[in-house]
Amino acid sequence: MNVLLFGPAARAAGTARACVHVPAAATVRIVLDALATQRPEIAFALPGARLAVNHAFAQADALVTVDDELALIAMVSGG
Amino acid sequence: MRVVTRIVEGPVIAENLAQARADRDLAGAPDETGARVSFEGVVRRRENDPHQDRVRTLEALDYEVYESMAEQGLATLAHSIGTRHGLQAIVALHSRGRVRVGEVSFVLEVHAAHRAPAIAAMTEFIDALKRDVPIWKRPVWAGA
Repeated sequence: MNVLLFGPAARAAGTARACVHVPAAATVRIVLDALATQRPEIAFALPGARLAVNHAFAQADALVTVDDELALIAMVSGG
Repeated sequence: MRVVTRIVEGPVIAENLAQARADRDLAGAPDETGARVSFEGVVRRRENDPHQDRVRTLEALDYEVYESMAEQGLATLAHSIGTRHGLQAIVALHSRGRVRVGEVSFVLEVHAAHRAPAIAAMTEFIDALKRDVPIWKRPVWAGA
């Protein structure tokens, strides 16, 4: 499953799109856990991070599919 | 309530604000307006570099925006806070791309009947922006 990366996470990963392997019936929590274990270079950005599903913040138990647009929203710094 | 929220390329300039006001007929103060509070976020010259644990001189900030979500996030925030505080209008403009030292990267203008809700909404909006709207800034250090 692909997850869009931005800001410090994208720079640390060297890409704007991280691919993680998750079970078919994955939740937001599972995707975040997969990012932590499969992409350790962005682990620093995960505490407090949220996952956006189709441009909206999603709850940890929300189900996601390969058709969803997932984005890691971490360490925002607008203003 | 009248709401204008936009992501603009480069610094937010006077023409951006004038256009936003004109688009929502906010150029003058309606009879019911008793408070109009404005905030400008400006790129400052000196900034702490957490990677080097020291204050350094900036040349600019590069703003990265998750476009589809940020635009909606700004609008949702404006409607939510505006409704909660009974505001008459909100204008929120944020930069994308490079903004140099001294230039404006964010403008927020709030119109209300009274001072207290206008000021409260202003602080609440900026706090929420920094927490919930997917925008990131990257420092461009002078001499780097």
